Amino acid sequence: MENIIEIKNLDKSFKEVHAVNDLSFNVKRGELFAFLGVNGAGKSTTISIMCGTLKKDNGSVVIDGYSADTDMKKITEEIGVVFQNSVLDGVLTVKDNLYSRASLYGITGKEAKAKIDELSKLLDFENLMNRTLCKLSGGQRRRIDVARALLHDPKILILDEPTTGLDPQTRKILWQVVEDYRKSKGMTVFLTTHYMEEAADADYVVILDSGKISAEGTPLELKNKYTGDFVTVYNADEERIKSLNLPYEKIRDAFRIEVKDTEAARDLIVAHPELFTDFEITKGKMDDVFLAVTSKKLVGGN
Amino acid sequence: MKTFLAMTKRNIKVFFKDKGMFFASLITPLLLLILYATFLAKVYKDSFNSALPDFISVSEKLVNGTVAGELFSSILAVCCVTVAFCSNTLMAADKVSGARKDLFITPVKKSVIALSYYVGTLLTTLIVIAVAMGACFIYIAVNGWFLTFGDVMLLILDVFLLSLFGTAFSCIINSFLKTQGQISAVGTVISAGYGFICGAYMPISNFGSGLQKTLSLLPGTYGTSLIRNHALRGVFAEMTKENFPPEVIEGIKDSVDCNIKFFGRAVSISAMYAIICASIAVLIGVYVLINVLDKKAD
Repeated sequence: MENIIEIKNLDKSFKEVHAVNDLSFNVKRGELFAFLGVNGAGKSTTISIMCGTLKKDNGSVVIDGYSADTDMKKITEEIGVVFQNSVLDGVLTVKDNLYSRASLYGITGKEAKAKIDELSKLLDFENLMNRTLCKLSGGQRRRIDVARALLHDPKILILDEPTTGLDPQTRKILWQVVEDYRKSKGMTVFLTTHYMEEAADADYVVILDSGKISAEGTPLELKNKYTGDFVTVYNADEERIKSLNLPYEKIRDAFRIEVKDTEAARDLIVAHPELFTDFEITKGKMDDVFLAVTSKKLVGGN
Repeated sequence: MKTFLAMTKRNIKVFFKDKGMFFASLITPLLLLILYATFLAKVYKDSFNSALPDFISVSEKLVNGTVAGELFSSILAVCCVTVAFCSNTLMAADKVSGARKDLFITPVKKSVIALSYYVGTLLTTLIVIAVAMGACFIYIAVNGWFLTFGDVMLLILDVFLLSLFGTAFSCIINSFLKTQGQISAVGTVISAGYGFICGAYMPISNFGSGLQKTLSLLPGTYGTSLIRNHALRGVFAEMTKENFPPEVIEGIKDSVDCNIKFFGRAVSISAMYAIICASIAVLIGVYVLINVLDKKAD
């Protein structure tokens, strides 16, 4: 797969703060790319540079073959952005908001109506079209934000913490739409999130810390590299678990034993068949990866 | 063009649907009219009567018409600028809300967005000013109408030009505002201060010569004088008809800033128009330049 985003040696400072420090990474066309980091790690700065709302100090940003230095207009035609906070006009209706934003891409009249109708069906807000935006719930507003970002069928959808604070049902609807779009239109999704289970579904993950990449890879590669496996044993005696001399955690009706890898888990079970009568082996979670890589816990998500 | 029209429509809709923004703009001229009519009209009237020589008798209607014309010009001269600032808070509010960022991540040119702010503000200002102007005309009609159709047309032209001026001025200032606090602070300063420096609250002829010279450097002064000249032209014509001595009429004109001097030289009406038009062109040029040089969204 070819790269749709190529970022090389990107640098950006705000006075003494080096927000982005010699950052380089690629995003492949059509993939779900997760960009993780604590607040202040440089994620939003990188996104702002990609969108052309912030000038970089050094480095290069190439999106779908267009350089951010010379072809920003072309780039803006290719990207749709869902910002951390809704940036639509609260006093206008949903319809007015979407029509005015569609006009920014030259989509007007019947073409705009057709696109807005399509998105309203897809995101299930047909009955909200004449409602004032500021009177909608957080989840309803988020659906409108996503519709706004998809108005011009972008090749790249940038989601900047899109599901923070949303109820599970709305999160599910949003991801369903984004996934459908991604698959049917070959859209690339560039995601920043505080929800590690969302990052776990990504094709590729970059973890940013203090403006630099701390780790990158597929979720599986990261889990294998930065966390061990876990054997969860049910209906076991704690004294027996303790006698294994391995780190463990007591959970509601079981014990979660940490082992180096899947091979070690297998050996442990084979060595103690009487203890492991009811068990499961799981990989470490992305939370564990993030914690191991940055020694920081993500705030705001689960 | 379609994008420009859609964005202008969006700016106007946001203005009228944001009740705070709309009423803040509308209340300024109406409040000024009430304050002037309630408190200042009597002061103006007494001061006018006391300034006239004893041998001249003046009809009540003429005195009231003079005072009403003065109030009319003061209110509209101030409002064309202050209302423009109130209407144009959207430009800065979009930065605070993040909407500006949303506009700038699109292929549309910054100049189109900048122009839509200008035209949107101009139209909303004109709508509010039209309401204020209507109220002021009613006030004049009640107190003493001496205006001809030509005067009314010229007054509309003056108000239009001053609104163009106020809108361009507000666009420049608001380009630099980034927080709600700054928006409020600028609104307060303009509302409180502009009326004094343009000679609306108090004729410039009342100030010391140094201050008069300084204020003659500001284009807003000539905008006020234009409106005042046209609002009072009929009154002065009536005074001439009633055989007022020309020197008395000239004295009144001097005292209410109908005759403005630029470092000792009298400024004609056509020169005032030239100054206002040139100021509008310069301010719009500066606004365009700010947008061309601004490389990032706020």
